[in-house]
Amino acid sequence: MSDLASQQAALVSALVGGGDVPVGFDEFRLEATRAALLRKRAGEVASAWPLLAASYGTSWPATFAAWAGTRPPNGSLRDGWDFARSAGDALPSLARSELSARQRELSYDGKSPPRRKRRAALRQLASFATRARK
Amino acid sequence: MAEAAAVAETQPAVGIGWRPEIAGFVSALPGLRFTEVAAESSISDSLVDLRARGVQVVPHGVRLSLGGADPVDPLRVAALASCARRLEAPLVSEHIAFVRAGGREAGHLLPLPRTWEAVDAMVRNVKRTQAALDGAELALEPIAALFDWPSCELTEAQFITEILDRTGAKLLLDVANVYANARNRGTSPLQLLDELPLERIAYVHVAGGAEHDGLYHDTHTDPTPPEVLDLVSELCARCTPPALMLERDGHYPPADVLRKELDAVADAAGLERIT
Repeated sequence: MSDLASQQAALVSALVGGGDVPVGFDEFRLEATRAALLRKRAGEVASAWPLLAASYGTSWPATFAAWAGTRPPNGSLRDGWDFARSAGDALPSLARSELSARQRELSYDGKSPPRRKRRAALRQLASFATRARK
Repeated sequence: MAEAAAVAETQPAVGIGWRPEIAGFVSALPGLRFTEVAAESSISDSLVDLRARGVQVVPHGVRLSLGGADPVDPLRVAALASCARRLEAPLVSEHIAFVRAGGREAGHLLPLPRTWEAVDAMVRNVKRTQAALDGAELALEPIAALFDWPSCELTEAQFITEILDRTGAKLLLDVANVYANARNRGTSPLQLLDELPLERIAYVHVAGGAEHDGLYHDTHTDPTPPEVLDLVSELCARCTPPALMLERDGHYPPADVLRKELDAVADAAGLERIT
């Protein structure tokens, strides 16, 4: 690995993976950046999962940040899904209904990007066909 | 191919970044001649309509990680090129930054160390990208960051100029980033303007931000502060940028407030209002 590659990897690890602050960096400013990234992520997940975020009210950004602090971002769809799953029985009912709706349309193994379910895909095809006939 | 001036073929113009949430507002602007769209988003009917009206749309990428030590992902480059083709865009833009390393996504644009090694990595990836763009020009945007790398071999102006010189890329100058970095470093934004190759500007970004814990954050979700508008005037006293556009990425204000902000940008640049 080149110097640049390892230095960049160490920085990303400190910002999103719970890694140590690399030598020579300003700790206060890196922490401010880390917090800003988490605020931005919480907002993006709230857009993708409005009921999930709403069910935590004003504590959503802090609740999400506490969970996401050492988990690198996987995109807002997966981040919200992973958060909801990890909440288990503690997941509020509003959020649970949103998760169920997603699970009807998409299958997600927690490792690779969610994929549209066969039945949901067929339903969409049928609706295209109906529109095409009109 | 139309020249880089393609953003504004005749007179310099003011625009606003197209976002799904404000698509109706953007479409309804009577004087709109150019806008910018996230290169990763799908091309909506609203954008197709704008193109039909002759509004130029610039694809703006945020995920290429051009400053990453690793080679840029050819699939991401191909997607950017395809977006440019579909929008008939003679110009696309990306950042002087990296967004992933060591197999992890940062989810955000991160600054590069201002070293020769980073210049070389950036130049390699920019050239790979340019080769795939079918002649569309690439403009590079220096980012705002809350921190700097510990050891730097070049000043910010030297770093940016070196990358532009070695790639022939244009400059997408974000005045709000210039302001944010200068404020957070305690340096002069005017000095940076005086040191940058302003004649290479393809277009200019303007955006709002807010202060948290003593640091200024370039949020794009707050109003544009007067200091950034003053910097727009300072820039336009030094050069004639082909176009300037407002970036707003959330907490959208009511339409009349957004119109006033666009008017303020036009006034600060000495350009015609588009509202």
